[in-house]
Amino acid sequence: MSSPTATEASPPADEAPVVVPSVDAAPETQAVAWRHRHLLDLDVVSWPEIELVMRTTDAMREVLERPIAKVPALRGRNVTILFYEASTRTRVSFEVAAKNLSADVVNIAAATSSVSKGESLVDTVRTVEALGAEMLVIRHPVSGAPYLAAETFSGSVLNGGDGWHAHPTQALLDLYTMRSHLPGGSVAGRKVVILGDVLHSRVARSNIWSLTAAGADLWLCGPATLLRGFEAWASRGAAGGGRFNVTSSLDEALRDADVVMALRIQRERMASGLLPSVREYAARYGLTSARLGLAQPGALVMHPGPMNEGVEIAADVAAGTQSVITEQVTNGVAVRMALLHLLAGSRAGGVAPAAAGPNA
Amino acid sequence: MTDLDISGAWLVDPAAGREGPGEIVVRDGVLESVVWLEGEEAAGVDDRGVIIAPGFIDLHAHFREPGNEDAETIASGLAAAAHGGFTTVCLMPNTTPPLDEPGVLARVRAAADASGSAVRLLAYGAVTAGRGGETLAALGELADAGVVGFSDDGSCVASASLVRNALAYAGALGLPLVDHAEDATQTDGAEANDGFVATVLGLRGWPAAAEEASVARDLSILAEVVRDVPAARLHLTHVSTAGALDLVRRAKAAGLPVTCDVTPHHLALTDEWIAGSRHWAWEASGDPWSDGAITTEPYASSLRVNPPLRSAADAAACREALLDGTADAVATDHAPHATVDKDVEFGTAANGISGIETALGVLLAMVDAGLLPLAGAIEGLTTGPARVLGSGVTARSIGLVEGAPADLVVFDRSESWTVSAAGLASKGKNTPLAGRELAGRVLFTIASGRLAFEAVAD
Repeated sequence: MSSPTATEASPPADEAPVVVPSVDAAPETQAVAWRHRHLLDLDVVSWPEIELVMRTTDAMREVLERPIAKVPALRGRNVTILFYEASTRTRVSFEVAAKNLSADVVNIAAATSSVSKGESLVDTVRTVEALGAEMLVIRHPVSGAPYLAAETFSGSVLNGGDGWHAHPTQALLDLYTMRSHLPGGSVAGRKVVILGDVLHSRVARSNIWSLTAAGADLWLCGPATLLRGFEAWASRGAAGGGRFNVTSSLDEALRDADVVMALRIQRERMASGLLPSVREYAARYGLTSARLGLAQPGALVMHPGPMNEGVEIAADVAAGTQSVITEQVTNGVAVRMALLHLLAGSRAGGVAPAAAGPNA
Repeated sequence: MTDLDISGAWLVDPAAGREGPGEIVVRDGVLESVVWLEGEEAAGVDDRGVIIAPGFIDLHAHFREPGNEDAETIASGLAAAAHGGFTTVCLMPNTTPPLDEPGVLARVRAAADASGSAVRLLAYGAVTAGRGGETLAALGELADAGVVGFSDDGSCVASASLVRNALAYAGALGLPLVDHAEDATQTDGAEANDGFVATVLGLRGWPAAAEEASVARDLSILAEVVRDVPAARLHLTHVSTAGALDLVRRAKAAGLPVTCDVTPHHLALTDEWIAGSRHWAWEASGDPWSDGAITTEPYASSLRVNPPLRSAADAAACREALLDGTADAVATDHAPHATVDKDVEFGTAANGISGIETALGVLLAMVDAGLLPLAGAIEGLTTGPARVLGSGVTARSIGLVEGAPADLVVFDRSESWTVSAAGLASKGKNTPLAGRELAGRVLFTIASGRLAFEAVAD
């Protein structure tokens, strides 16, 4: 991507009014200030652009509340969803989002395609393009793979999660969900805790960019083995601006928190010697209602899913009154509709992002 | 036979400890005269134009034949070497089959002869049979056949007791053990230098400690082996971390028979390139996301290399080591790969940079930045590696010696060239420097009295 945007990490001040696209018209007919051809990560997305996504998502939420939650914006456009990792929630979320915009959706799961016969990513991307793909949603277990896809593909690529690296639509739906609940609709100055397996988490990494840009008081918390390397990032700050905190002390992290987001713990972490046992993790870092008591009354409880109830989060907390986990799922559809719409109307056209200026 | 007359050039002869304006005459491949100009004759000649230096020696290259001729052949590798100014190359034995017995060496030499290249080919034998890490390869037979040392490069010799045995056995044969220092228990699945860039990009960290633990192990074993086998020698190749270089520095100070080399890419590039920065190591701030250094896409697989590109501080330590003699040589670790093995996701790409043609240009960038004297760069490519190989091994004197077969490179510092896939003689197009302008276009490479490369006028 091109040079970073947030050389001065913008606080979420009131920007000049942004033009929010009309959801009922075709994106390419509208004058919207969205210049990215792809959405691969949030490091190159400026704060005003994040605001634009938020407001477009508002419009999409309104569509979802209509009796027939469908608009013709992407009619006739081919959105291909190429997933190299098992996933239900994210894949279905993208599919529903694209269908709500009347796009033609093609789903390719790596296990059932020629990928398992050893076809390279580059060849697969060329093939789906030859089959008519105009927008490509990709999930891949190797960090950075969507950049390779974007280099090959002549349309827009939307990162649905790559390795440990990025999950930008998740971070945007997280931000949207926080803003819709926090007083004043802003996360600026709010204490947000991301709890658990940060090391392997693309959700955490993308959230670092968006939450520091939003001016949140961000805390990463987990066992020391799962925070490896993050102290160096925290002390530099994301893109020179918002710094954040890293701690293994759960109490320190949770005290007076406004938002607590638990991350999934995978069983492989025990086999690779990062954690003694699931039981010990649950005992020391599981988000229980007693621990949640350290946070602000009414603090939001979030989880990107899928959850291991009783491990990183207690069942009663996940289903409790403070939980907005199911709302994250609904907002996920709206955010993805917004992004598909914005990318389809991108002013970048065929210009490669590297050449398209400072914010491209 | 080769004839060449060049006057008004800048001669660099590290063997003689001399540089300055001069002229040379080559007749029938013999360096007939070397004249050092003085006074008015020398007027207007400086070290920023045409340079004449002894032919370069690369201590570390992979030519992939036999076994992976799509990536490089002996012939294409030798052509690439000549294009880079190298007149001697030392090939690593990790071919398929590996060079662990004399038959493979004979094949490699036959391919070199068939190529007609004037570049001299030397080879290392494997340390362990089949590079399997379990039993010694045919070290004695390989020595008799003329290998210049032993290495399992590509992998570390994992067994410490085999390192001990190989140092002793090879030492008694008068040859060095050339180790690729990497504690593999720390690098399983590793993708990029463990640090800020890897954390942000979600790449699996490759700790400096993996290299340093291995270097420390080899050095402590060497200290014991030399008591029984005074001729034992250890050469550590592509040393890339400040800590590892410090260990070597202290071992040398303690008198241990250890040498090491650093690569052009570890001197001049950093892990920030993986984030999309294209700043030289000495221009890097440590945070490419904040300093505007990111000008291209991240995750370029041409940057995946073993050992990985390190931090700017490590690159500075490599430079410091070259200046203070801790590093004896610059070796390219030329590692060509076929496009199919590189045109894939960063994490699945083969390790290696095709670097033998860009080594000089990269070093000259350091010289231009005032970080390395020109003579120091040339020394790292000539007398330094010759010293590592030991006397007699290269079978010729290093230097601009009258009456000897000419073995030299002529390049023009004032003329730059743009690195491009098509412009590389190597079949390995995997260079992160594609599109970059480098100074010091090579005009002529003469190896053992024969023309190995001549620049074609544009």
